[in-house]
Amino acid sequence: MARGKRKTASSALTRRAFLKGVGIGSGAIGAGLLAAEPPHRPAPAKAAGATLGPGPVALGLKVNGQTQTVRVEPRVTLLDVLRDRLDLTGTKKICDRGECGGCAVLLDGRPVYSCMMLALDARGRSITTIEGIAPKSGLHPLQQAFIDRDALQCGFCTPGFVIASKALLDRNPRPDLDQVRETLGGHICRCGTYPRIFEAVLSVGGRGRPADT
Amino acid sequence: MASRRTIKIGLDGGSRDVEVQVPEGEPPIWDAAARLRVVGQPVRRLDGAAKVTGTARYTYDISLPGMLYGKILRSPHPHARILSIDATRASKLAGVKTVIVFDRPDYFGKLENSEDSGHPMESDAGGSEGPKKRRIRFAGEEVAAVAATTPEIAEDALELIDVRYEPLPHVVDLEEARRPGAPKVYPQGNLAPPSVGEQGNVETGFKAADAVVEGTYTTPVALHNALETHGAVARWDGGKLTVWASTQGVFGFRDDLAKFFNLPAASVRVQSDFLGGGFGAKFGAGVVGVVAALLAKKAQAPVKLMLDRQEENLATGNRPSSVQWIRIGAKRDGTLTAIHLKSHGTGGIAGGAGVSGPVRMFYSCPNVRTEEQDVFTNAGFAMPFRAPGFPQGSFALESALDELSDRLGLDPLDLRKKNYVEQKGKVLMQEYDQAAKAIGWSRRRPPSAVPANGEIRRGLGMGTAAWGMYGGPPADATVRISSDGKVECVCGTQDIGTGTRTAMAIVTAEVLGLKPDQVHVVLGDTATGMYSPASGGSVTLTSILPAVRSAAEGARRKLLEAAAPGLGAQPEDLDLKDGRIVTSSGGRSVGFAQAAARLKSAVISAQASRVDNYKGMGGESWGAQFAEVEVDTATGQVRVLKIAAAHDAGRTINRLTAESQINGGVIMALSYALLEQRVMDGPTGIVMNPNLEDYKIAGPMEMPEIVPIMVDASDVANNIGVKGLGEPPIVPTAAAIANAVSNAIGVRVRDLPISPDRVLALLGKVKEV
Ligand code: FES
Ligand code: FES
Repeated sequence: MARGKRKTASSALTRRAFLKGVGIGSGAIGAGLLAAEPPHRPAPAKAAGATLGPGPVALGLKVNGQTQTVRVEPRVTLLDVLRDRLDLTGTKKICDRGECGGCAVLLDGRPVYSCMMLALDARGRSITTIEGIAPKSGLHPLQQAFIDRDALQCGFCTPGFVIASKALLDRNPRPDLDQVRETLGGHICRCGTYPRIFEAVLSVGGRGRPADT
Repeated sequence: MASRRTIKIGLDGGSRDVEVQVPEGEPPIWDAAARLRVVGQPVRRLDGAAKVTGTARYTYDISLPGMLYGKILRSPHPHARILSIDATRASKLAGVKTVIVFDRPDYFGKLENSEDSGHPMESDAGGSEGPKKRRIRFAGEEVAAVAATTPEIAEDALELIDVRYEPLPHVVDLEEARRPGAPKVYPQGNLAPPSVGEQGNVETGFKAADAVVEGTYTTPVALHNALETHGAVARWDGGKLTVWASTQGVFGFRDDLAKFFNLPAASVRVQSDFLGGGFGAKFGAGVVGVVAALLAKKAQAPVKLMLDRQEENLATGNRPSSVQWIRIGAKRDGTLTAIHLKSHGTGGIAGGAGVSGPVRMFYSCPNVRTEEQDVFTNAGFAMPFRAPGFPQGSFALESALDELSDRLGLDPLDLRKKNYVEQKGKVLMQEYDQAAKAIGWSRRRPPSAVPANGEIRRGLGMGTAAWGMYGGPPADATVRISSDGKVECVCGTQDIGTGTRTAMAIVTAEVLGLKPDQVHVVLGDTATGMYSPASGGSVTLTSILPAVRSAAEGARRKLLEAAAPGLGAQPEDLDLKDGRIVTSSGGRSVGFAQAAARLKSAVISAQASRVDNYKGMGGESWGAQFAEVEVDTATGQVRVLKIAAAHDAGRTINRLTAESQINGGVIMALSYALLEQRVMDGPTGIVMNPNLEDYKIAGPMEMPEIVPIMVDASDVANNIGVKGLGEPPIVPTAAAIANAVSNAIGVRVRDLPISPDRVLALLGKVKEV
């Protein structure tokens, strides 16, 4: 299209251009967390002759060290059970399809998107949510670092970032900036707190700048 | 009665005396000479612990006994008449408690002209179209709603609602909608009356110019995508309605519901303790708030209605697109002689596509003409989006100015300085210099020839920010000191993530000689009766903090009066410092808690209201941003390396959260510049990327180094000297990045987002997209 001529914001977009447009750019979204920590693939449910569902089934889940029993339909995700049935609402539902990291929890110590997992598949695993990160009194050093560096604004994305960062520090206590970035690559913060999240995580690993608060 | 006072305004170190008219009863003004202990320091957020432990309760997290889950059925058609809705099957599904169908033409009519109606021109009721059928104007508009015992059952019920539509021709493309004969979004047509502004005479201005540049710039429709979606939890107790809402304005939300249900405002209570972002899309109750309350009323049980991500991206607001033709003339030395802007854009079924703010505000130019037009399309409605119109307008204006600088052989920064708007503190000059230094602007070279294949090129660019809303009355606050030593600061306002809660505590603590974490803040509740405007337009702190301060001063006075006899002193001779009341000689003192314990009443409290801005005072918040980028000319990929952003908010209240707000604005704008665009499919009229995978938002991997710089410039339109900071940081970033890319590749960027395919097209490597 010639310069100077009126153009349209979107009319020139073909389907092909659209797919191209969305295909490039932030290749990391939705990939970072998964790339760093492949989601634990549950073993297929034992064929003990029992057919589960479609009605509600009883389900025992070990969450933050306590085993709890709920009755839910087999189609219900781990995220929905945590939030709607166990009232553990720190874990957020933001995209509900593995695109944002807001629902991250630790499954046997590894981060997973709880919106992408059925609750049934979490049976027998140890689940840690944001509510289970802090010691009995006080805060986990990472949580304190988030506060000190102001690594949060509205705070809606924060639980997911804390969970993923904790998993990183647990297996790599002194990550560098690139490792932090990559680990958190699958998380979105709309308020734009990333630089300070990086600082917070680096500081806990002993690689940060001093805080100014 | 007003009194005259002499105060110091301006920058730290470079202040001067001015005389202001101040209403009776105003406390001593915190001017440039004021020495404050807490205000302006970096202070940790008071609600940080609640947020990092997951205990903060957002609307999405509210759960009430017997609560049902609501869901909305939405039209798959972009334009249709609803012939019938049959909810029989859905109603019979076990677990479904209520179904409501929105079949009347004016179902949400009462929301018209509310802050968040989304239906600004709905006027079909009783029109010439024959039988009164509700008309759907965009894919995603609300058709029916259900409430059920579980979210899954509610979801299933939607599939059992049978709707017969009569599809009508639709138009979703901006240019198609402008053509004669295009399907009509409204009976009146698709073109809103143009809005024209003229100052001086552009013809004369262009004749006087030595150089003229002109070009057409486009920007896409962008979606807010606050991470907490729109939604509410509603509960009726008899004739009283209580709502928890994800809203930027609890009072506006309340008023909309009161109007819809014909209730006195006092019968509606809206609360929002924590809010997962808004960015302009969450004013008023909107359809979501009303539907939550309707379902709760009909089901006679509390109902939680939270939208999912797709709904959020279809029907809760957007930043309109723009096509801007701009022409700028200047003298050889860079003095601007004329700016002419013609623009149009679409906010779907709503208006709001104006972009002329920057052209009218940012630079001094004697001849300016702006012609703007809203175009209606069958798409979701616009809502204000962080500095409405400014990121778009800034992109075209600053790009054209850079082109002009290159044409005249001038440094782009010098050209801006030459045409800056004289303002009281000359704060912008400081911001230019500080941010330029932080980026290393002296390294900038004029663009050279288009790079050879495969080269990686770097470039530098810049842009200016300004915002001109100052807040004002009405806003009320109460500060209470209890005999147990507890200090409470109360204002009904909401904290959308900016740190309002902490700012209220900081001001109270400053006045009472305490630490911010010794102040308990109550906000997000209309039942406080302490009014606050909605948090939008950067007016929250500017409106409420002066009232908070006056209330705190009132409580302080009462406390000192009570303590004076015990200290054998007059109240005027007492001061509050470091948690103690001390005599001016420093000879005697008593601890704050001890003084409170000796109060003759259980509580002392003072209430105060925001007074008008001082006459003739106040002015824009300014800012300057500089960007450095790297362009891979083989792939077209743009990487932003660094952004230096200098801004002022008058007096900075909390350096820590202020810097976060700068980061946030910069990042959101970077995302807009490089990644974001809502894509509509012409033939079907639907949004193709209503999710976070295909609607890309910048994440950790895209982050540049960001240098936030707060410049302190005391201003005195209110007793604190605070100005807004919510919008300014998002204004110039996209322009600065686009200018840096143009500087890198030697070809002018004219379209956002600056996607790799577009960069390759600019480089002539692929056909233009
Ligand atoms: S809610 Fe699970 S990844 Fe977004
Ligand atoms: S802090 Fe608001 S989304 Fe991250």
